[in-house]
Amino acid sequence: MSNPATSSGVADVGRASSLAGGGRRKLAATRGWRFSNAPVAFFLLIPVLVLFGIAVVFPLIETIRLSFFDIKGLGKPKYVELGNYVKLFADPAFRNTLTTTLTFTLATTVVSVGIGWVLAMLCSFAPRLTTAFRVMIFSAFGISEAVAGYMWIGIFRPDAGGLLNTVISMFGFPGFAHPWLGDTNTALGALIFAASWGGVGLPLMLCFASVQAIPKTVLEAAYMDGAKPMSIMRHIMMPLSLPGVRVAIFINLLGALRAFDIIYVLTGGGPVRSTETVGYFMYRESMTQFKLGYGAAATVVLLLAVLVISIPAIIQRTAGAK
Amino acid sequence: MTTTSGIASGIRRRSLMAAVSIAALLSFAPAALAQDLSGELVILQWQGGTDAEMWKKVEDAFIASHPGVTIRELNITAQGDARGGIRTAILGGEVVDIIINTWPAFRAELADAGVLRPIDEQWASFGWDQKLSQSWKDLGAIGGVTYGLTYTYGDRSGIWYKTSHMEKAGIEPPKTWEEFLASFDKLKAAGYATPVAVGAKYWSHAEWFESLLLRTAGVETAAKLAAHEIPWTDEAVKTTLKKFAEMLAAGCCGDPATMFANDWDGAADLVFKAETANYLLIGMWNNARARNDYGLTEGVDYGLFQFPTLGMGHDDTSSVDTKELNATANGANPAVADAFLDYIVGAEAANIMAGYGYASPSSAADSSLLGPVQQTATAAVAQSKVQFVLGDLLPGDLVDEYRVQLQKFLQDPSDANIDAVTAAIEAKAAESY
Repeated sequence: MSNPATSSGVADVGRASSLAGGGRRKLAATRGWRFSNAPVAFFLLIPVLVLFGIAVVFPLIETIRLSFFDIKGLGKPKYVELGNYVKLFADPAFRNTLTTTLTFTLATTVVSVGIGWVLAMLCSFAPRLTTAFRVMIFSAFGISEAVAGYMWIGIFRPDAGGLLNTVISMFGFPGFAHPWLGDTNTALGALIFAASWGGVGLPLMLCFASVQAIPKTVLEAAYMDGAKPMSIMRHIMMPLSLPGVRVAIFINLLGALRAFDIIYVLTGGGPVRSTETVGYFMYRESMTQFKLGYGAAATVVLLLAVLVISIPAIIQRTAGAK
Repeated sequence: MTTTSGIASGIRRRSLMAAVSIAALLSFAPAALAQDLSGELVILQWQGGTDAEMWKKVEDAFIASHPGVTIRELNITAQGDARGGIRTAILGGEVVDIIINTWPAFRAELADAGVLRPIDEQWASFGWDQKLSQSWKDLGAIGGVTYGLTYTYGDRSGIWYKTSHMEKAGIEPPKTWEEFLASFDKLKAAGYATPVAVGAKYWSHAEWFESLLLRTAGVETAAKLAAHEIPWTDEAVKTTLKKFAEMLAAGCCGDPATMFANDWDGAADLVFKAETANYLLIGMWNNARARNDYGLTEGVDYGLFQFPTLGMGHDDTSSVDTKELNATANGANPAVADAFLDYIVGAEAANIMAGYGYASPSSAADSSLLGPVQQTATAAVAQSKVQFVLGDLLPGDLVDEYRVQLQKFLQDPSDANIDAVTAAIEAKAAESY
């Protein structure tokens, strides 16, 4: 059955967005789009392209260019070809940051998305009753990482003023009070915990939306067949909410890879560089030691890591688009 | 009708009047110039807290005496080392007249990059020799050219304590290394868990190494180490770390995790707020913190004693830090910048600083305005051979490695690890100079 023609432009746009491939081209053709209109389109795009060029393309090219120079402080740059990259991968401190970054990224993603996903499924059993709860969890996502970092410093403080140690002592285990951020064995774990706290909100919302998108008929059929809530979660909600989970994983991975603020505030990459990620290494080399070329090389490596994760995800997410 | 001779006479008279007028003007030139100072003075400022408050007061007083001048601060926000922010501002094209600086190595970097202008002419014309001794001039010089004008200095070999802790433990501030080590048990017996608060999160654990190095090997060795004229594997460095290890073995500081969990301010809290620790080796800025943040009375509630004597022939040494002003080569208002430099070593600015507990090297300063603790520190420095704090003399990438390796030493102060730690610093030093 064909759709009746509409006279409304809005309806045309809505219809155009719902069409795919040849259908869209056909619509464009019927509305009089011609190749000769391209200059106007490009003209209208100029402001965006200029801003994009200034804010993204130029810094990107400049960073890549700097990575081929040896720059120390305010001294004159010296062209070193791939020297910074060779030095980078021979640097034990940088190699250590790769391991730390991988651990931090995977752990915060697993914890944030895992908790967010489970909470989303639980909330979906009583969506209205859990609105306030979801808003509270999500609000943590809106708190600046630096501010959250100072809050976590108060929680992890090693002395009697530290909230965590106080609670541990209150429950009768004063022997378990510990300088969590000062111990090389616990600092990264504490950091992951703190970073994950703020990271739960977004996966919760994405997964919740995904669970809500499951057709009611499927859930009703499961109830009528006598499925228990746990079975519904395991066999229906979990598999059918995977698209939302994949987006949440993608966003969390990218965020964790680039993490800096909370590390800067909580541990400063220490103790003994045990919590130093590539993002923090980049800052240390570029800003505190002002080795801009070396820091730029680390930035390019981080960019490549982000691209390795992003490109397959973007291809997968946009596979249906023409 | 005017005759030729009359004209000539008139010209001579006018010439004479003009000459007299010029001479009169010239004779009043300095005063006239001082009154005519005008325009905006831009100061690159990175200090915070009480330091920033004091600095504002100094600026206000300068403006009050030069009504035609306005001051604009270019504020750099930084946690810890502000050099990154200063470099970014300069490379970003910011034009300032004066930079506040506390790192001699950074001054050299700025001078090499052509950012600074020499101030030797000003030193002579303003007569700063009358206010500052030659040693302060030398401190601000690179290769015989003066770039830095020191306006305050601090003792970095003074150990802070709370009077009530000493009284409770029944001890006096220790004078010798043996007394110092022996005091740990007495303080612990009095109920204090950790006699020495070491904030090893970033850099302040190096304070102990640096004063110990001076007392073990003297200022010449420390200077050579800073310039990498001797290697970090030198016996002097190892002996210093072994002395540090004695302190750790005597139970000074708790476990490494506790030390790594705090920076210097957290360590100060342990002594003055939580009262679980007793000794703190940190710079004179703690004086303002103790008075303002903890509400303590200087010389009554808390005190300062100079680093204990080791008996190794170098007990007359102290580590110091300074703050100086650098004039820039591209500043828009060099005349006002010079006047501000002159003002900062004058009596008015020195006395404002004294009110905040900061010592001025200027002879124009009234030292009686300093509090009792600051007077103790000032006297100690005056009687010492001084060496600038080592960390601020090292190249940026080396100082980072140096601090991390000292953290590794705190984790394991064994002789074998001392060898490993010194070798690691030396390896970095080999590529840093």
